[in-house]
Order: sequence, then structure tokens, then C-alpha cells
Amino acid sequence: MSKMAITPHVLLHVKQPIYVRVRRYNPDNEQTYIEQFTVHVYPGARVINVLQAIKDQDSTFMFRMSCEAGQCGSCAVHVNGSPVLACVWPASDGDLIEPLNLPVIRDLMVDLVDGIAKIPKIQSSASICQQECQDVCHEKTLSPLHLVPSFAETKEIKELAACLNCLCCVSACPAVKVVDFAGPTAMRGYMRIALDPREARDRIQDAVADGLFSCTTCQSCWTVCPKHIKTPGKAIEKLRAIASDHDLTLPRHREILHLIERTGRSVDSSEKLFLDLVDEVIEPYGEVKGEVVFFVGCMFNARLPDTALDMVEVMRHNGIRLIIPKEQVCCGSPLIRTGQRSPLLSLMQQNMQALSKPGIATVMTMCAGCGSTLKHDYEDLDLPFVVKDVCEVMTEFDIKPDKKLNISATYHDPCHLFGGQEISKEPRVLLSAAVERFIDMPAQCCGSGGGVKAGQPDEANALGELRREMIRETGADIVVTVCPFCEYHLADHSDKPVKNLLTIYRTLLES
Amino acid sequence: MSIPPRIKVHKTLSTHVLVIGSGGSGVRAAIEASMHGSCILVSKAVIGKGGCTVMAEGGYNAVLHPDDSIAIHYEDTMRGGGYLNDPALVEALVTDSPKRIADLVDWGATFDVLEDEARQFSKSGSGTSERSEYIPIRQRSFGGQSFPRTCYAGDRTGHEIISTLLARLAATCTVQINELDIIALLHNKDGDRVIGAAGLDIEGRLILISADAVVLATGGGCRIYNISTNSAGGTGDGYALAFRAGCDLIDMEQVQFHPTGAVTPWDARGRLVTEAVRGEGGVLLNTQGERFMERYDPKRMELSTRDQVARAIATEVKEGRGTDNGGVYLNVSHLPAEIIEARLPVMLEQFLLFDIDIRKEPMEVAPTAHHIMGGVRITPHGETTIPGLFACGEVTGGVHGANRLGGNALADTLVFGKRAGERAGMEPKQNTEISEAQVNAFIDHLMEYYTNTEEVSSARDALRVVMWDHVGIFRTREQLLIARKELERLAQVKVHAKTPQELIDCCTFSNMCLVGRLIVESALTREESRGAHTRVDIKTLWSDSESPYGHTVIRAEWDVSIEYKEREAEEREAGSKEAENKAESKAENKNTGGMS
Repeated sequence: MSKMAITPHVLLHVKQPIYVRVRRYNPDNEQTYIEQFTVHVYPGARVINVLQAIKDQDSTFMFRMSCEAGQCGSCAVHVNGSPVLACVWPASDGDLIEPLNLPVIRDLMVDLVDGIAKIPKIQSSASICQQECQDVCHEKTLSPLHLVPSFAETKEIKELAACLNCLCCVSACPAVKVVDFAGPTAMRGYMRIALDPREARDRIQDAVADGLFSCTTCQSCWTVCPKHIKTPGKAIEKLRAIASDHDLTLPRHREILHLIERTGRSVDSSEKLFLDLVDEVIEPYGEVKGEVVFFVGCMFNARLPDTALDMVEVMRHNGIRLIIPKEQVCCGSPLIRTGQRSPLLSLMQQNMQALSKPGIATVMTMCAGCGSTLKHDYEDLDLPFVVKDVCEVMTEFDIKPDKKLNISATYHDPCHLFGGQEISKEPRVLLSAAVERFIDMPAQCCGSGGGVKAGQPDEANALGELRREMIRETGADIVVTVCPFCEYHLADHSDKPVKNLLTIYRTLLES
Repeated sequence: MSIPPRIKVHKTLSTHVLVIGSGGSGVRAAIEASMHGSCILVSKAVIGKGGCTVMAEGGYNAVLHPDDSIAIHYEDTMRGGGYLNDPALVEALVTDSPKRIADLVDWGATFDVLEDEARQFSKSGSGTSERSEYIPIRQRSFGGQSFPRTCYAGDRTGHEIISTLLARLAATCTVQINELDIIALLHNKDGDRVIGAAGLDIEGRLILISADAVVLATGGGCRIYNISTNSAGGTGDGYALAFRAGCDLIDMEQVQFHPTGAVTPWDARGRLVTEAVRGEGGVLLNTQGERFMERYDPKRMELSTRDQVARAIATEVKEGRGTDNGGVYLNVSHLPAEIIEARLPVMLEQFLLFDIDIRKEPMEVAPTAHHIMGGVRITPHGETTIPGLFACGEVTGGVHGANRLGGNALADTLVFGKRAGERAGMEPKQNTEISEAQVNAFIDHLMEYYTNTEEVSSARDALRVVMWDHVGIFRTREQLLIARKELERLAQVKVHAKTPQELIDCCTFSNMCLVGRLIVESALTREESRGAHTRVDIKTLWSDSESPYGHTVIRAEWDVSIEYKEREAEEREAGSKEAENKAESKAENKNTGGMS
């Protein structure tokens, strides 16, 4: 019970030196520059304490802070490229501290006010009545207390209400860089309002106008959110479902729905389909080390069957038996991402039936979107198997090439693997084992997700071009990924060849 | 470095009501004032992020349950406050508090609510015209209360309140000005009325705002202590502004030390560990494993009032039963993990950041400067002793007496925010011509900072240590005199600004010195232990309710005095359950008596 303090009292208040670099901006001469500081802070110091120490050393240095307890959202900055709250993030020697990706006022101070103004606020019928806007009051009378949200509604609202308006998510969002999009937290705000029986108006059209369909569901927003609010799943997709009910779905998204209703697939093709090319059971060349059910997904089935065949060869050489049920259909991801949920349940049930094979515990995906969907959106179905991405399976069975390609390669994180399944280490380890030189690159959406490539192709292309620049900066010979959507889209937005990790592994088998 | 050119007035604005401060009371006041005419709300932070409302965790006290009563809330508040509270203000607090939370619910606030089955809307059915008295909000126990009446939204209650208020404010015509630091109140030519304020923006530019009425809602000042729960802006600017403008301030010696602040790591010392932790069943233990509150308040234990629990913890530590880091243990690990996750998520998260899982192990806590009960003297309508100036929220005194009950501060902000905003809005149009001489005097004063030479940061740090070491939980005349001497010295330090942006830091430091002095002078004047003010050098021969003393009063030129309580009148009012306006008129009479 009596837990002793980890740090003895004497050391607790002995300051230690720390070295950091800070991006500063002086509006008087419009100079941006990196300045290095060595300051002294106590053990356990947060970034904010380092910033205070810098201010004590150089009183012209400007940054914001208020509560110092992770509650007000004043102090968000980028530390080593990622947005964090300076008051909760531990400071480390060598940190690079920069302002958020918002218009900079001075040093680390950015324009928060404009960003916060984009977040919609609840306008209850009662408050509108009090402001004497008669036209609205005719529709609804003063909100009586029995409009207090129910217990269940309260629970849902609370998940979205914890937002600190720190704008970390806006700073991390790739879409706001290329299109007029109010940002993730604005969408969170719209959903919080939509859940509330006290709101006077239906705001779904405003949400659409503010860029509801601009989100690629890349998951960056919640991975940087200090409150871990899962905006893509809890807000964007739900708002898109409301938009669908109001017939506001984008025409190209409607086409996908109709295609799925007709064919059970979200991608059509006149070429040969993967499922037509393979047997239902594929035995490995040697001893059987394991077996998995393979969920192919629409992209590999219709658009990139050769890549899927590369995977088949890699598994056959490594003792993995593949079971490939022919009755499998679209996982439903394009419908969930675009808010068109009507045929969803029947797809899910059909897949569950097709994939459930007695005695086989693992269903393997190699499409990041399918994997994330099967892992998260099938939860209510109580699946009798575990879903794993191909990278997890390869790691588990210790699949490694015996030689390396004499090239340099960088890795592009698929959003639905990186954020959707929180898998980023495995593919890097696998790729490093396969090439002479691995060059790391920070994750950023290529633009192909969330129905944006179909619905807003200009935005997808603009994001692709941002990614082209980042790939170019690595100087790598090729860019490797493990998602068919990324692979297909990046092919148009990269100066270097784009390859699937499994294609690399297969090449090594043959060389 | 060359001295910047003489400061010019960058902009002059004019409005009917100017509200200074964007915490709960300021925003609530602006919402109300804007019903009566133009309104400007200024904040030294980004609106919604400054102040302490956004940080308030535990809750909001309101009588909602049919088994609770306004009279009991009144009595709890008076008893908790050592009967130093202004009865008329308490009457207003407890009477209005349920109405103010009903406003919030109407405007979209989402508190934790009762299960649908447990709700009863009204005794007469579901009529919409007649408001039910029972809002189905979940309530928990807080210290010093005879009934669980603290409404909450997890442990981010203040955040939910301020978000809702800002949503409501957005529907008004209020002009919001972010990051403008008010450095002085402006007075009319005769010097007998406040007619606006002067501020510096983040670039250090001087902006003047004239107004028919000014509402001071600047919050507290516990950042003048080394260890404090307050946000960075809690530097007590409002007390200093009001004092310089000539207002009466009362009970400035009454500083609440919240019993449970974090102890480690060093930089996080003082960060609030909400009373809700104890409200949900947390227990305090010393290093010998004793539940020591048994020795101090066996009846109420951990849910005793904050002054008592803070003294108990400080005593345990002083007598060698504290941890190496100078704290005691606060344990909730016996509670189900789901309860901790659902009702104390912010606490869970904050401790996890420092590798402490409160579901499994105890927290280490010690007292931390939290709230100043004293402040600007007001009537129940938020009128100060200076015409044209209104005040609400923590900057005021009298509502909480000598010790504030947990959950009464959020109620205070909304109750008196509305009252002050409304009364300010009702002020008639004034001649608000700004005196050039007054503005020039300021500019002269600001220009001095450019030629000074001393670092602000070291003087400020020294001030905080002086306050913590000599004006803390246990006080003596000797220690207070040391503090007075140190504060006089620090007030003379010629702090320096290199750039216009740094002028704000200099002004803030000067405010902090002044607030420290206000506390010290009042503490020397109150020669008794009462509530949070503990004079260990004086044997107090009476219980709180029998004290002959009333408010300490401090006003311009360091005129300090202590009022004597008219005991009979006091008792009559304490027992009174009469209509609010009646109580108010009495108190107003009494106040005027005290001021003349």
C-alpha cells in the first residue's frame, strides 16, 4: 500500500540541462528561423516547462499557456513533427518544437481564434427563443426539461464533448492543407450537435458545405487528439450516414452503393478476377507451418490481382496454407466510410459465414481498409476468428527473405493500417529486412481513402502531389506500401516505382 | 538596446457594457448584459481557454432533489464559511443556483444524468409551461454538505459549462476581444465613476474602451503563490484594478488552500486533484497507514471542509507522518475500476501521464493555493462601492466567507455573473469622455518599464516563494511582517521590458505584488483563526459562529480595518428563510452602514 516515491526527494528538485531547438517567427521582419536553447529543468519536466525556462532566459520568446493541466488546450505545439499539448508531453533532449500548422502570429503563437470559430456551437431552441428569433421559435417551443438528453444520448454526447479546441487535429489533418475543409473538430462539433435533442435546427447541410466529404478518414486526427476522440468513426461516418438519409450523398458514392447492391463488390473489372484465378485451398510447397483464411477485398480481386498472387507465392514458400472462400464479398468499408449503411448487414453476415472455417483461427487481410473494417466494424457480430493483417502474419511466422534487394526504399504508411490498426512497426521491420537501405518517412495520407478519390478526385490528386514531394525528399529508389488503394493511387503521384511489400518479397524469392 | 518610441493609443472603442474576463462569470455577465445593449467581452487569454472555470473539475452545487432544500444549502454554506459570509449574497447564491443550472441545461449543457427510469419531470405530468423543479442531473457528495448536491459532467464540469456558455454567447451581439490584457480602469473627470478600461494587446499596443458600465470578472489570484492550482492567468489583476480604482475589498486574508494538490513531479506541484476523488470515496492515509481524518473530523472524515482537511494534511506532514515528497496518500484503488474510469477520467489520465495508475495505487497529495474567498465588496446585484463598476465571480468577496465549499464556486460564477451583467446592462447612458491626463499618466508609467533594468521573472519567482513561505496555511504576526517587508522590497524592484510585448509581464508583476500586500495587510488585521485563515500565534477564544469580528476591509491608501459583527442581526438572517429580495434589502442597508 505505501508506495514509495520513485524519485528520492533530493533529486526531485535538482535541475538538469536540456537541449532543444525551437522554430521562431518574428512578424516585424517576417523571419522564420530555428533557434537552439540549452535550459535547466526539473526531472519529469513537460515541454511547457522547457518553454517557460526559455522565456526566463529570453523574455522576447512568445508562446501560450494557461491551465498547465491538459484541460484548456492553449499550448498545443508540434514536437518532432507531431502536434501535442506542451503541458502534458514529456520534454526530451534534442526535441524540435514548432508552432501548429496554422497561421503563425509570433514564435509558437498561432491564430487559434479563427480555427476555433469554425467549430459549430449548439444553438438550442431555448437560446434562440431568448434571442427572439421568431421564425425559428414557431417550429419548436422553448426546450422543456424533458428534452434533457436521455442516459444513452448523454453517453454518446460525452464522447464528443470532451474536445479542448486545441486544434491538434486540424494541424495534423492533411485535407485542410489542400481543400476548404473546416477540419476534424468542426465535424466532431456537428455530430455532437446532431446527437442533441435540444438543438433547434438540422445542421447537416452546413456540415456538407464545411467539407464533410473532404475527410479521407486517414485517422490522423484522433491519433494526435489529447482526448482520443475518434472523429472519423464517431463523427464523420455518422454524419455521412445522416447526409445519406437527407439524400446528400455524393453521386459517385451512390454509384458505388448501386454497384455493391448489384454485384456484392465495390470495384468492377472486365479483366480476370483474383478469385477466379486461384483454388479454394492453396497448399504450401513444403511443410505446413500454419493456415489462414484469406480475405481478398475488392481492390486486389479486381484491380490488382497480380499483387495478391505475389502474396500467395510468398505464403506457399513459407509454409502457410491459404484457404480462400469464394463466397466472400465486399467487406462494406466503402459503404461505412461514405455513410451508406443499408446493405451493410447482409454483406457482413455473408462474409462471416464465408470466412468461418472450423478449426481456423485467423483471417488474414492484405488490404488495410478491409482489415480495419473487419477488426472494428464487425464487432457486434461476435466473429469466431481473429483478423490479422498480412504484416502481422508475416511477423508471427517470422517470414524473412534470405537476401536483400540492392536498392534504397521508403515506406508509405496506409492510413487504415497506421491509424486504423495501429500497425507501423511490423512493415518497417519487414521492409528493412528486404532492402539494402531503408529510409523512413513520416506518415501522411496519400488521398485515396474515405471515398475522396471517387467523390472529390481533385482533392485526392492534390494530396497525392503532397505525398510525391515527401517521397522525392527521401531520395529512395522505390516506395513500398501494403495497401491496394495507396498502391494504386500513389502510382500516379510518385516519380519512383510504387511496390507492395509482398511484391518485394516475391521478387526476392525469384532472384 | 534602444528605448521604443513613446506609446500611442492604438485604438479607442466604445460600448454600453464592458466585461473584463472570460471565465464562467464574465461570459455569463456578457450574455445578460448584451440583452440591454452593446457589449464587449475582453479576455487576456483566448476566450474559452483562460481562467479557472475551464479547469473546474468536480462540480456545481444546486438544490435539485426534492429531499434537499435551499435552507440546508444556505446553512451548509454559512457554516462552511465560518459565518463570515455575507448572508444576502449566500441567499442569492443558493436561491439562484438551480435556475442558473436550468439555463445551462436549456442551452445544451450535458451533465451526467440519471437513468431514464429514475427521472421525474414534474408532479403534475409533462406540462411544458410549468418547469419542473427536479432536473434529472446526477449529483454527488462534496465536502461540508449535508446532501449530495454537486452536479457534474464527469470531472470536466467547468469545461462543459464554459463550452455551453460560449455557445450561448455566440447567439448574442457581444463583441469578443481575445488576448487583451486590461491594465487599468478609466475614471471620469471627477474621478467618482468608472467609465472604461485600458489594455495592452499581445503586441503591446494600448487600447482604450469606454463604457457606461464595466463588469470586473477577472477571477482569482492564487498564482501569487509558488504552489497553486490556478491557471497561468490567475495573477489577481482584478483585485489590483479595483483597489487602484478606489473600491473596498473585504476578507482578502481568506485564501483557500485546497487540501489535495499533486506533489510530483516538481513542475506539477500544486496541480488540482479534485475533491470529487474524495466525493467518490477516496480516503486519506499517512505513511503509517492511518486514516488520519479520524483525529481531526471523525464525523465528516475526508468530506470535511477544505480548510480543515488542508490543515490536517499540513499537520500530518509537519509532524513527520508525510511522504518524502511532503505529502500524504489519497487512495481510490479500492473502488471499482469502471467507477474511476467513468467519474474521474481526467484524474486517471493526468496521473497515468506520470506513470501512476490510480486504479491500482494511491496518489500523493498536499495542500495547494486554490481560491481567494475575499475580494471586491459587492451587493447582491454585483454593484461595487464605485459607481459604474460591477464585479462577479472569484474577484468578489463575501459569498464564501472564510472558506468556500467545493462546488459553490461554479454556482457563484453563474449566479453573480447573471446578476452583475443584468444590473450593468441596466445602467443608463453616461458621459464616458476619457481623460487625456489619465491616459498620459499611464503611458508615462509604462514608458518607465523600458528604462528599468531588473528581470521580471526572478522577481516574480521570489514573490511566489515569499507568499508560500510566510503567508501560507499557518500564519503568525512575525511571519506576516517578514512578508510585508519582502513585498515592499519587491514592489520597488524596477522591472524591465525590452519589447512592447513584455510590458504586460511588468504590469502583471506589479499587480501580483499589490495582491500579496492586500492579503498580508488583511491577515495582520484579522487577529483570530477563522476558516482558512489560521493565526497560530493567537489563541482564538470563540467558535466561528461566535466571533465578534466581521469582514476585514481594505481600501485605497492602505486603509485597513475590521468590522464587528452585529450578532443579533446576523443570527436573524442566518435563520431566515424569507424571500430573497427581502434579505437583499437588509444586506444592502447593512453594507451601506459599513461603508460610510
